[in-house]
Amino acid sequence: MASKNKEVLFGLYNDEEILLTAVQRAMDDHLDIMDVYSPFPVHGLDPIMGLEESRLHQAGFVYGSIGTLTAFLFMTWVFTRDWPVIFGGKPYWSVPAFIPITFELTVLFAAIGMVVTFYTVCGLGPGVEAKTLDDRITDDKFCIAFDTAGQSSSEIEKLKSFFSSTGASEVNTKVL
Amino acid sequence: MVDFTITGKERMTLFGFMGIGVICLIATFLWGDPADISGHHTRFWANILHNTVFFTGISFTALFVTCAFTTAYTGWFVIMKRVWEAFYLFIGVGLGLMTLFGIATYLGLHDLYHWNVAGVTDPNSPAYDELITGKAGFLNKNAFLFGTILVLALWYFFAHKLRSLSLAEDVQGAKGDFSFQYNIRWWAAIFLPIAAFTSAAMIWQWVMSIDSHWYSTMFAWYATASWLVSMLALTILLLIYLKSRGYMTHINGEHLHDLGKYLFAFSIFWTYLWFSQYMLIWYANVGEETIYFRTRLDQFPVLFYVNLVINFLVPFFVLMRNSTKRKYGTLAFVCVIVLFGHWWDFFQMIRPGVLHTAHEVHALHNGGHGAHDTKDVSGHSAGHDDHGHSHSAHDDASHGGHHDDSHGGHDDGHGGHGDHSAFVSGFTLPGFLDLGTMLGFLAFWVWFVLGRLASTRMEPVNDPFLEESLHHHT
Repeated sequence: MASKNKEVLFGLYNDEEILLTAVQRAMDDHLDIMDVYSPFPVHGLDPIMGLEESRLHQAGFVYGSIGTLTAFLFMTWVFTRDWPVIFGGKPYWSVPAFIPITFELTVLFAAIGMVVTFYTVCGLGPGVEAKTLDDRITDDKFCIAFDTAGQSSSEIEKLKSFFSSTGASEVNTKVL
Repeated sequence: MVDFTITGKERMTLFGFMGIGVICLIATFLWGDPADISGHHTRFWANILHNTVFFTGISFTALFVTCAFTTAYTGWFVIMKRVWEAFYLFIGVGLGLMTLFGIATYLGLHDLYHWNVAGVTDPNSPAYDELITGKAGFLNKNAFLFGTILVLALWYFFAHKLRSLSLAEDVQGAKGDFSFQYNIRWWAAIFLPIAAFTSAAMIWQWVMSIDSHWYSTMFAWYATASWLVSMLALTILLLIYLKSRGYMTHINGEHLHDLGKYLFAFSIFWTYLWFSQYMLIWYANVGEETIYFRTRLDQFPVLFYVNLVINFLVPFFVLMRNSTKRKYGTLAFVCVIVLFGHWWDFFQMIRPGVLHTAHEVHALHNGGHGAHDTKDVSGHSAGHDDHGHSHSAHDDASHGGHHDDSHGGHDDGHGGHGDHSAFVSGFTLPGFLDLGTMLGFLAFWVWFVLGRLASTRMEPVNDPFLEESLHHHT
C-alpha cells in the first residue's frame, strides 16, 4: 500500500462537532486532507469530505449471486446427474428442498467475500501491523491528518495555524 | 406543525371511490356472482370479509408496531407517530364491521365457513363432518361472534388508551417530561403479548377457518406479516402524499429510508414465512395438508405465482439498492405494487376455500339425487383424497358429496361446468367488482385516517424523543 513514507501532520480534536466544522473549513480552504480518523462513524462526515459511496455492497451482491448459483447448480448436479437418490418419493430435482441451502450459501459467500474484500482494500489482515497515528483515535479523539512530505515550511505553518484556529487540542507529527 | 385539513378535492375523490366501492358491493350482491350456486351472495360476503380483515389488520399492525417501538425506546418515528395513531384508531371501525359480519355469520346469512353449515356437528345430519366436529369448540358461531367482538374491543381499548395518552402528553406534558412516555410504554408493553396471541386466534377464525379441514401453524404469522407489509406501504405512501401537500416537513429521506428498509425486510420476512409454510407441507406430504396448495396450484395458478412475484421479487430487487429506498418515486411505485400484492395475497388465502365451500353447500342442498353422482366423481379424484379416512368411517352416500370434490357438486347443479380449471370471476382472479370494492374500502380507510390527522396537531410537541426524531440520520 504505502509506496513512500508519509510525514503526517495531524491534529486531535475532542468532539465530533468541532471535527465536522474543522473538516468543512479545510475543504473550503482547499487543504488536501490525507484522511480523517474517528473512534466511531461520524454522521455527515462523508458528504463533507466529498467521499463517494462505497462500492462494497455491489461486490457483496456479486458474491451473493455466486453463492446462489454455486449452491443451486451444485445440488442440481449432485441430485440429478452424479448421485440421484429418491427422498420420500420426491423428484430428483426438488427445488423447494434446495432453497434453504441456496439461501445459506448466498449469505455465506456474500459475508465472507465482503470481509475479505474489505480487509484487502484497507490493508488489514492477520499478521499485518496496524499503523495508527495515535492510540487515542481509537478511543476518544478525532483526528485530521495531512501528508506534509515535500511541503515547504510555509505550507506546514499554514496547516498548523489551521489546526490552532479550528480548535485542535493537540498537533503532532509522525512518519508512517 | 401546521394543522391539517382535508381539501374539498380530496373529499370528492375519496367519496367518489367510496361510491364506486358501494356500487360494486351492491352489484356483487345482486348480480356478478358466477359462483353463487348456494344463493347466499358468496362473492359479496367474501369481499366484505376480505377487505374488512385486510384493513382492520393493517390498523392492528400499526398499533402493534407503535407498541413495539415504544417499548424499545425507539425515537426516530416520533415525528410521524400521529400517522400510525390515525391508522390504529381504525380498529374501532373494524370492530363495527366485523361485528356486523359476525352477526351475519351467527344468523347463517352466508356460506363462507364450512363449520357454520347447519348440522355439520350432528352425526345424524347429511352435513355431518367428523373433522369439523373435532374443532367445534373453537370453530362455532358463538366463539366467532363473541370472540371477535371481545378481541377487537380489547385492541380498540388499547388503541384508544395510547392515543389519549399521546394527545394528553401534548397538552399537559412539558419538554423533557418522561411521565407520559413512561405511562405509554407501560400500556404498550402490556399490549404486545396480548396482541401476539389474539391476532393469531383471530386470523385462525376469520381467514384460516375458511379451509375448515386444513390448518397450518405458520398461517397466523404469515398473514400478520402480510398486514405489516401493507401497513408500511400505506405509511410510506401517505407520508409522501402529505409531504407533497406541504405537511410533515420534518420527514426527510432519512425517515423514508428507514421505512423503506422495514418494507424491504418485512417483504423478505413474509416470503420466509410463506416459504416455510409451503416447504413444510410439501415435504411432509400429508394429504390433509397438501390439498391446500394442490388446489391453488391446479386451479388458481395465476393467484399463486403472481403472489410470489409481486410480494417478493419486486420489493427484493427494487429495494435492494441503497438509493432506491431514498427516491420517492421508486419507493411509491414499490409501495403501490406491494400494497396491491398483499391484498392479492389475502384474496388468495380466502377465495379458493370460499369457492370450495360454496360448492359443498350446494351439493348438500341438492342432497337426494346429487349424492349418487358426487360419489362417482369423488371416485376418480384420487389426487384430492384429503379426507379419505373419513369415507370409511362414515359410509353414507351424501357424505362423499360435500367434502371431497366440489366439482362433483358443480357438475350436478349446472350441467356443463365440470372443468377443474373453470374460470370463476372474483374467485379465480379478482374481477372488476372486487377491485372496485377494494378501492372503495381503501378510500374509506384513507378518509378515516385523514380525518383523524385533521382532528389534532399533526406533529407531537412534547414527546421526549422528538429531538432525536428530528435529527434522525441513518
